[in-house]
Amino acid sequence: MRPCGVFDKSYTLDIAIIRTWQHWVILISALILLYIFPLFGSYYLISLMNSLAISVIVVLGLQIVTGYCGQISFGQAAFMAIGAFTSSILTIKLGFSFWIALPLSGIVAGAIGIIGGAPSLRIKGMYLAMATIAIHFVVIWLILHLEITGSFKGLFPPPPSLGGFEFDTDERMYYIIMTVMFIMTYAARNLSRTTVGRAFVAIRDNDLAGEVMGVNLYYYKLLAFFIACFYAGVAGSLWAHWITVVDCEQFTLIHALEYVGMLIIGGMGSIPGVFFGVLFIRILNEVVMFTSPVLAKALPWLGTSPAAALGLTAFGLAVVIFLIFEPRGLAHRWEIFKASYRLYPFAY
Amino acid sequence: MIGFLQQAITGLMIGSLYALVGVAVVLVYKSTHVVSLAHGQLVAFGALFFWLFFGGLGIPFWISLIPAFVLTALMGLLIERLALRPLIGQPLFAAFFMTFAIFIVLEGIFVLYLKGESRALPAFLPTGNIEIYGISMPINQLISFFVAILLFIALSLIFRYTKVGLGMRATAEDHRLAQSAGVNVRNIFSYIWILSAIVAAIAGIATANVMDIYYMLPYIGINGLIVAICGGLDSLPGALIVGLFLGVVENVGAGYLDPIVGGGVKDVAAYVVLLLVLLIRPYGLFGLVRIERI
Amino acid sequence: MRKKCLIFLSIVLTICLSMVGFSSSSFAKEKSVVYLSLADYTGPIAGLNVPADKGTEDYIKDINAKGGVDGVKIKFIGIDTRYDVARAVSAYKRYRRTPKLLVVNSIGTGIARAVGRLLARDKRVQLTPGDGEFQAHLGSTFIWGPAYQDAFAASMDWVMDDWKSKGKSGAPVVGYLNWDNAYGREHLRGGKQYAEKLGIKMLPPEFFPPGTLKHDVYLTRLAKAGANYIHAGGIDPTPTNVIRDAYALGLTKKIQFTTGYWGPTALGLSVHAKALEGIVNYSFFLRGEDTKMNKTVTDLWKKYRGSLDKLNGVYGMGIAWGMTYVGALKIALNSVGYEKLKGVDMYKAYQGITGFERAGIQGPCAYASDSRRGSREIKIYRVKGGKIVPITGWQKTPDAVSLHKF
Repeated sequence: MRPCGVFDKSYTLDIAIIRTWQHWVILISALILLYIFPLFGSYYLISLMNSLAISVIVVLGLQIVTGYCGQISFGQAAFMAIGAFTSSILTIKLGFSFWIALPLSGIVAGAIGIIGGAPSLRIKGMYLAMATIAIHFVVIWLILHLEITGSFKGLFPPPPSLGGFEFDTDERMYYIIMTVMFIMTYAARNLSRTTVGRAFVAIRDNDLAGEVMGVNLYYYKLLAFFIACFYAGVAGSLWAHWITVVDCEQFTLIHALEYVGMLIIGGMGSIPGVFFGVLFIRILNEVVMFTSPVLAKALPWLGTSPAAALGLTAFGLAVVIFLIFEPRGLAHRWEIFKASYRLYPFAY
Repeated sequence: MIGFLQQAITGLMIGSLYALVGVAVVLVYKSTHVVSLAHGQLVAFGALFFWLFFGGLGIPFWISLIPAFVLTALMGLLIERLALRPLIGQPLFAAFFMTFAIFIVLEGIFVLYLKGESRALPAFLPTGNIEIYGISMPINQLISFFVAILLFIALSLIFRYTKVGLGMRATAEDHRLAQSAGVNVRNIFSYIWILSAIVAAIAGIATANVMDIYYMLPYIGINGLIVAICGGLDSLPGALIVGLFLGVVENVGAGYLDPIVGGGVKDVAAYVVLLLVLLIRPYGLFGLVRIERI
Repeated sequence: MRKKCLIFLSIVLTICLSMVGFSSSSFAKEKSVVYLSLADYTGPIAGLNVPADKGTEDYIKDINAKGGVDGVKIKFIGIDTRYDVARAVSAYKRYRRTPKLLVVNSIGTGIARAVGRLLARDKRVQLTPGDGEFQAHLGSTFIWGPAYQDAFAASMDWVMDDWKSKGKSGAPVVGYLNWDNAYGREHLRGGKQYAEKLGIKMLPPEFFPPGTLKHDVYLTRLAKAGANYIHAGGIDPTPTNVIRDAYALGLTKKIQFTTGYWGPTALGLSVHAKALEGIVNYSFFLRGEDTKMNKTVTDLWKKYRGSLDKLNGVYGMGIAWGMTYVGALKIALNSVGYEKLKGVDMYKAYQGITGFERAGIQGPCAYASDSRRGSREIKIYRVKGGKIVPITGWQKTPDAVSLHKF
């Protein structure tokens, strides 16, 4: 996003994430706004931001494995569950502090993600997508049937604490979640300009061509799965300590499908796209959820439950209409806007 | 041994339902390259439409089949026309997610009509069991099993011997090539969706024979997807064979593994089989292995 | 075309958003309190939740039409969470700061656990189906009736009686078949111990995923192991379909089937009457023919829903929730008045409403400072001639929760 007349004069400038002083101003003011938001935002908005940020982390991981590396995964919800349960077990049964459990749960989820991603060495496209759905069900089944994960009883992880200060409300948790989200976003954005990121893109565009050029397919595909599941695991850990109860009913296939939907609506291969997609789906979801009781009140002959069903239909229709008009996602529109802004006031 | 055979036979009967849904999914993928989640809803609506005429209005069985098929086919046509046609040439994953969105839309309508209740089809097939060598088979499921086989044969014949079938096969091979050879690809897409919707409706009616029409019914579509993928997305025989096989695996798995691991094997057995199949044969058991060129 | 569509879409979105905004602003105008239902109207247990919430909604509507409780109107808000924990948590947080939100009804164990954590901190009453763990760990979560295991234990008592009345000696063998999730296992946490105390032989429980097409495997295994009684769990239409499969296998003649709270309703009965004939169903609220005899329920149904053909017993249960709410609200209003009324007052009122009568829909209220059970009584029904008729009066359930170590 830069105005007309700003040119990249060196390679460093070309690959820089932040190129002009205006960018710095926007970034810093956005960060300040983000961190002082709890001072004036309503309670509901803060908690909504928390759940949005957790979704953003999950979808960022998905963006790396699907958007960058081209390996479709419907397993994000399951790996989020792995992260959540790992973190809970570490804090409850082994007495780890949250701050150690957070990265560890990401690593454990990532390690299991390598096993989950192993089929990608042979399977491609829709077949791989279905394999990850299979992994989802196997993971959830294991969680339900293993004793260590609390089986059907669930686990009750404590909220994070730092030197006696408990992060036990949404406002307090907000700072942790936002900080983690910021770091994860930066890492994901940075990844795209490293060797790894370029290797991923090469695999996405054509894996055979990539291999011919010397990209180690096995290594990079598994790495992509590791990173994606790491993200999901971290998100799961945050979720666990934010909700302070985990059981396997919280992570369903519908969530996994929704994450992929966010990615498609946001746009593949774009970090801002992740934010667009998460915002679109989640806000639509919330609007539909809270409109239906109002609708039922406004139209008493309709009744509460039919209004809810109508809401569901409206949600689906909105997504259908959106996909018809913008099948490449919001990021596509954003790129068009950026390009035209860069040329303004000239036509081309 | 008798116990094993009994479970396998019951599995086969259920498998024929999976196979029908799988065939419907494969039909659509074969020519349009869209993997459809929406078929679960077509199955449910097929059953619902049939119930409306047969159970609700009390119209005789054979006559009420006609409006059920027509309405479901119309739904398939509308899905293709309104939602999926604009996505031709766009990323395939947009199309996949589109079918998920359609699933949600139709689910909303389904629930709006049922209001959380369930509907059950009156028995329209002879009830009772046949005993062969000590293995009992319910007659109504035996009938639906043979319907599945007959339908499969009919579909194969359509593909093999009719002009539309030829067009469908050509489209499956390559859209552009088919178009330049004079095949109206758009029409073929519509035909395929109509055909697939009718197959889904038959699957729905057969399923509603063993399970009430309620919220869980559309989720058989996921089993259909497993079947389609395991068998190879572009293989009709694959869908049939894997569908039957999957039913057996689920049932026998639940029969022998449940006591060992403590229940719930039925669900996960299908997925484990899917994973194994894909690891050994990445394009499904009978799928066409695509040779990639750079 | 494209532009028009986009404009249309944005108009629809603004209307939706403004409606949401409007809904939150219109709360404070009159004296009103809020009842929030984190319901499942479009998901797997809609069959239970939709009629039940209809009952609550109609009862509250009726109370409001009569001028409310001491002039205080009740607002019923039903949010469709689709049995999804994340949505339920978000929905509760949306209303968490609503000043007069007093009671939250959470459907499903997962939701009750997650939202319950927040509600416990807010000291607000949460209502949830029948998980015994909420009785074992006394908190702000109240269950609708007797815990699942209590009712299961009571049904075991009936099984023993039935076994003896058939003139058989020894102890019966009981099989258990239910969904593979938390709800499906809850009955056994205490229920199993109770049954074994009675001398009943419990077969290894069978669990199947919701949405299973055929249940033959499980049924034949239980039958082969020599079950005399089988408890078929799940939420309708699952138990109906299980028994239908058993009927097709010819098992219903040899084995007595029992079902729990969410067993067959009039709807399934009308189609599967033959298969369901003779099965036993235990329930903490009136069902079947009993519901049609209860004037409170039928009057309300006729007033708001019309003909009695489709009356569902679960509707009555919903009315009972509404009655308890109104009863507790009266107590709370008497003790602190409307201005000071908070969730915690309702929490105290719910503990003090012991013995409250709900027009006979359910046994007397058993909420107390050391009890979270909505009532202690169940009634046993049997399907006879296509109708659900009672075979016992109200029976007190044993305390099976205490038998399990939670």
